[in-house]
Amino acid sequence: MSNNNDETIGYARKHIRFGWWALLVFLTLGFGLEMLHGFKIRAYLDVSNETRRLMWTLAHAHGSLLSLVHVLFGVCLRVTPELGTRNLRLASWSLVGASFLLPGGFFLGGMFFYSGDPGLGVVLVPVGGTLLGIAVYMIARSTEHLPQTLPAVKQKSKNKRN
Amino acid sequence: MRFVVQWFRRQLGSFPVLLLLTASIVLGTAALTTQPRTTPESEISNRPIQVPDDGFVSSTTCKACHPNEYATWHGSYHRTMTQIATPETVQPDFDDVTVSEVPGRAMHLERRGTEFWAEFDDPGWEGPGTERPRITRQVVMITGSHHQQLYWYATGHDRSLNILPGVFLLDDRRWVSRSAVLLHPPDQSVATFDGHWNAICVACHTTAPKTKFDTPFRSEAIDQQAVATTTAEFGIACEACHGPGEEHVQANRNPAQRYLSHITGKADGLIVQPALLNPQASSQVCGQCHSIWEFYDLEDERIANNSGFPYRPGDELTDTRFIAQPMGAANSATLRTFVEQDPDFVRGSFWSDGMVRVSGREYNGLIDSPCFRDATEPQETLSCFSCHTMHKSPLDNRSIETWAKTHQVASNREGNEACLQCHETVAPNLSQHTNHEVNSAGSSCYNCHMPYTSYGLLKAVRSHTVSSPSVDESITTGRPNACNLCHLDKTLAWTADTLNAWYGQQPPRLTEDEARVAASLLWILKGDAGIRALTAWSLGWKPAQETSGTSWMVPHLSELLNDPYEAVRYIAYRSLRSLPGYAEFDYDYLAQQAERVDKVVPLIQAWRASIVADQRQEAELLIDANGDLQTDVMRRLFDLRDNRRLFLRE
Repeated sequence: MSNNNDETIGYARKHIRFGWWALLVFLTLGFGLEMLHGFKIRAYLDVSNETRRLMWTLAHAHGSLLSLVHVLFGVCLRVTPELGTRNLRLASWSLVGASFLLPGGFFLGGMFFYSGDPGLGVVLVPVGGTLLGIAVYMIARSTEHLPQTLPAVKQKSKNKRN
Repeated sequence: MRFVVQWFRRQLGSFPVLLLLTASIVLGTAALTTQPRTTPESEISNRPIQVPDDGFVSSTTCKACHPNEYATWHGSYHRTMTQIATPETVQPDFDDVTVSEVPGRAMHLERRGTEFWAEFDDPGWEGPGTERPRITRQVVMITGSHHQQLYWYATGHDRSLNILPGVFLLDDRRWVSRSAVLLHPPDQSVATFDGHWNAICVACHTTAPKTKFDTPFRSEAIDQQAVATTTAEFGIACEACHGPGEEHVQANRNPAQRYLSHITGKADGLIVQPALLNPQASSQVCGQCHSIWEFYDLEDERIANNSGFPYRPGDELTDTRFIAQPMGAANSATLRTFVEQDPDFVRGSFWSDGMVRVSGREYNGLIDSPCFRDATEPQETLSCFSCHTMHKSPLDNRSIETWAKTHQVASNREGNEACLQCHETVAPNLSQHTNHEVNSAGSSCYNCHMPYTSYGLLKAVRSHTVSSPSVDESITTGRPNACNLCHLDKTLAWTADTLNAWYGQQPPRLTEDEARVAASLLWILKGDAGIRALTAWSLGWKPAQETSGTSWMVPHLSELLNDPYEAVRYIAYRSLRSLPGYAEFDYDYLAQQAERVDKVVPLIQAWRASIVADQRQEAELLIDANGDLQTDVMRRLFDLRDNRRLFLRE
């Protein structure tokens, strides 16, 4: 149990760190997109580049949200290590993979595109989406192992009172 | 699932959640119900409707995959050629406005909510008495959005439309009568009839129209016919040039199919790409509207009436439409029939040598051009796409609005590049070829080979028959030549001598007037109304003003301010205001003659009084050494004027 717990805490640390750093990356991307708007850069804003604008906006949005999911997942693992009792390794790597492939696919799809269709890089998106689905499914299934109460926390409170 | 139901039960028991839910439902419903409801086309019975059938899908379907193409088309005047009358599309004020510049009694306009209504004299009245009864009709459709707007009212008879007696000039922000925007004999009323839009305009101002009179047009009185006109889309939309898009759309719903096309660069072949057709076929796509055409016979007209116009992009246009070419088809029985039915059919649209003289019919000009007619290689054949583009390139720095206003000429075709695509040997020796400075107006291929000798929309338009300047043609046809449209102060003799010296062109035999009087003045004094309009426009053309000077122009433009043709007066006034010091000159081209004369007399007196040292006093400008006009010569030439009635069918 102790080994398992250490492993879970290790994953929690990994996801929290990954999440915050990824959030920094995607917020920087968002800042970059704001700059493209601010300076009215035609390569981003022209109607002929509508597909690029959509794809890069999606990359920014998906990347930022997935970063927050990492942080949330990490925090959950810290608070309720029972979440990590089942296929944690698969769930973790799927979530990490999705965080590269989903925003990366959108970004590449907007880098080179065909009029109203994104470029071939967009094929990474369904792969990333599948990985995200796997991760979410694994985590959702792990919730079965969550205790009805939070004994550790209650115990702590009782100790404090004593 | 049970958990979810239980959760909802628990939450709904809580008052704040219940309150929040109720508020959301109320606000959502309010937002939906307060939005203005757009009446579906199928519920509209008093005007033609848009029904995308027969494989047509409408431009909204194209937008998702072709955003740039959609946006550039959307910004073009093709889209807004026909619009439904709405507060967004109707440009003038209709709120309790009286318009007196119409035949008969004044027209009264009013707004009823989002609807536009007009009260005016019934144009179709054929009863006793001279006073026509008043009618009040709803304005439902609009033609045009660039220079002028024409308004169509629901006649109350099926989907039949007729035109309001007033036209709104967009630049001038004023109402005028319909006759005042056409080059039209002053004593002749402009024809109008119930079903005018359905029978005529629908063909080229909409996409895939079906006229749908229940008997061929004009075979029976209009009020005895059912009129069920439909069109795939109002305006000239994607499928007017690309053909019906349903199969293409269906095939490309599959992303694999789309990416296969993207990667291989191979089109699916299910939709026409005019730019990939051969020059003849691609130009015919434009020529389906930008030409003077008729049905071959009544049977063809019946087919079009019932099932829509049969031409589809990529087809041979002449299979289903007779393209009028007075010289090329001079012996055609079809043309003879048209001329028998309408003696002015040719003269109203063509110069006497068969060159088209009205705007909007550029295909007729193109097919008579040697660069098209005599070309043997497709890559060296002139086509509409040699100069124009229907979709502004993403690399083009101009705004969509600027591109649309400059006739959708491609960004790299605005200057000599267009012609130098083929005539590349001229480029290094341009000045040697033109005998003008390289960057001057005289070295512009367009100015010399496509001069402003067509007329339409109250202005001169470039001829689309590529030709070379010729004094002989000016004499035989009356058509101004390119040299004298810029060198307005020079005589035909001067031009003939110059063309002879530079290009070895044999000088024609000239009359004394042609040898001694500036060509522009001969055209103003002797020319027909169309020639006068073109010359008046050229007097306001900046390159011509820079070449010829302007100080001598005032009295001659003043002459045209009293022209019998309203269109000529309008253009002359516009040119006069472009002269230095005359921008504020106050004059109304629609005023009564006495009032106009009252404005013109002091204008000439002021010009005479303001003569300065550098005033040009040259005999060819009909100004003597004292600065006085040679009125005797002017009167003599005026008596020789071509006063034949002229209606240019733009």
